[in-house]
Amino acid sequence: MTILSVRNLKTYFKTFEGVVKAVDGISFDLKESEILALVGESGCGKSITALTIMGLVKNAIFEGSIKYKDMELTKLSNEEYRKIRGKKISMIFQEPMASFDPLYTVGQQMVEATLTHLEVNEKEARKICINMLKKVHIPLAEKRFDEYPHQMSGGMLQRIMIAMALLTNPDIIIADEPTTALDVTIQAQVLKLFKELQETFKTSVIFITHDLGVVAELADKVHVMYAGKIVEKARVFDLFRNPLHPYTEALLQSRVKKEYKGRPLPYIPGTVPAATKFPTGCRFHPRCSKVMPICSEKEPPEILIDNSSVSCWLYFRSDEK
Amino acid sequence: MILSLKGIKKYFPVRSGVFLQIIGWIKALEETDLDIGENQTIGVVGESGCGKTTLGKIVARILQPTSGKITFEGIDISRKIPKEIEKKFRKNVQMIFQDPFNSLDPRMTISEIIGEPLEAHEIFSSKKEQEDYIKDLLGKVGLSSDYLSRYPHEFSGGQRQRIAIARAISLNPKLVVCDEPTSALDVSVQSQIINLLTRIREELRISYLFISHNLDVVYHMSDKLIVMYLGNTVECGDANEIFDNPLHPYTRVLMSSAPSWDPENRKLHKITLTGEPPNPMNPPPGCPFSTRCTLKIERCEKEKPKLIGDEKHKVACFLSEV
Repeated sequence: MTILSVRNLKTYFKTFEGVVKAVDGISFDLKESEILALVGESGCGKSITALTIMGLVKNAIFEGSIKYKDMELTKLSNEEYRKIRGKKISMIFQEPMASFDPLYTVGQQMVEATLTHLEVNEKEARKICINMLKKVHIPLAEKRFDEYPHQMSGGMLQRIMIAMALLTNPDIIIADEPTTALDVTIQAQVLKLFKELQETFKTSVIFITHDLGVVAELADKVHVMYAGKIVEKARVFDLFRNPLHPYTEALLQSRVKKEYKGRPLPYIPGTVPAATKFPTGCRFHPRCSKVMPICSEKEPPEILIDNSSVSCWLYFRSDEK
Repeated sequence: MILSLKGIKKYFPVRSGVFLQIIGWIKALEETDLDIGENQTIGVVGESGCGKTTLGKIVARILQPTSGKITFEGIDISRKIPKEIEKKFRKNVQMIFQDPFNSLDPRMTISEIIGEPLEAHEIFSSKKEQEDYIKDLLGKVGLSSDYLSRYPHEFSGGQRQRIAIARAISLNPKLVVCDEPTSALDVSVQSQIINLLTRIREELRISYLFISHNLDVVYHMSDKLIVMYLGNTVECGDANEIFDNPLHPYTRVLMSSAPSWDPENRKLHKITLTGEPPNPMNPPPGCPFSTRCTLKIERCEKEKPKLIGDEKHKVACFLSEV
């Protein structure tokens, strides 16, 4: 069952340098207990997509629809949004160190979230929180509950943030680069935890990352974003076995493999375009190795191939329509 | 040999209270040896807090070691040194930092940023000559010479890192310390910078001390490798040898914790490692990795293993002792 449905979502910002088309007409569906990875480099609009769904973007121009079950989120008032945000849809941020308030114990911050969304008293809330800390494998949970964020390591805080996101048993968790700030051995532990919890709680997850290695370990479905648009949607197996879009292919090749030693690494020429100056036509065309004349003129349509979809002229057949 | 470190230790005092009394020491670096030869890249790999940046800063003389001996082209530079030697050292040892957004002065133009070391060392007598040289350098790092009078904020992360590289090589150094030079960059740009660093190494025949947490990147760049954990070298030797035959349990953990890039052979759900590195103020008495090691024996908790082996491959683990 589809639990979140995003249609033609646009988030534009007005700046002195012009309109920044951070998210420019993206559509996707999230199914129940599915892990959807949103992949792309910095500035591709993946974080803004997350924040828009959470209703956390202010002073922007919006268009399109975000449907959670039968509810149109874009039409909600602030008051109504607050009942969804953190309860039905939770978010995990990239920097655990910066996401907690240093003046309160992690316990106080967890209890605050619990009391806001659940009908329990403080004593019960404490119990729920400590229980949740145990589920994310925090050693000495009762003691840790009364400690301040600075007393914890990054990995531990990220676990606590995951615990906090799960407190209200949400339907959707949006995780924005939750392991990027962590060391590899800690990242491996957190990813393992994610998988474990997702299997227990059956939560749907939108996992935002730039790291295709992490995607391969965790995701069911992958959407690749470039310059505000989704360029390829595929199941994780298909994407890694047979990437369609030249950008996806290039991203997969940019992994530093052992065989490359002593040779130059394959790379994507150029840099990600600034959001005020996106190229015409296909936005990837100035960096694309398979560029054709039409690419710079017209925006490619979304083309369905088996279970995937790709926005690229390479796959366009004129007889199809 | 360009630079040689023997038994280097670095302890940072931890102060507390009104009188800022020293209440303990953070043992950032313990008994570290390092030899950097000509046109050689030494990779340093480890997780945050393992002391790899401290090591880089000591090599670049940004930090003074607590104890130990450093020799630069045969001259002892561990303590205070005369000005001429200091100057010669600075000219020959340069550094590239992780974050190109913080390592370039936002108020200086590109030509001022790259020109500063040239002026400090009075390389050119005329402004014109210097400008031509800087233009040439920009070409070498793949930037247009039109950028001379622009400011850092006009550039992307990858371009800024190229500027930082141009600055570092402007004095024709023998050794460049690269502290996580690609970690702040996008994946598509990372490979460009690695290729650039490799090309410059061949062209100028310089050496790198290449510090990174990314094992794949370090392996790609390095001739020799040092694996660090909690301030200690746990394994070192030829990069190929360590990669093909990792001996220390920590090195193996580090290698197996990297994602697979293959959804059909997922492996991270199988990992057995738990816990986090201990506090460097209060390291375990025995092997630094003993608190997390799945293979530990009784001896590991009491006694610290020594780094043993030959030049090609050394490891500090009792399990590798025969």
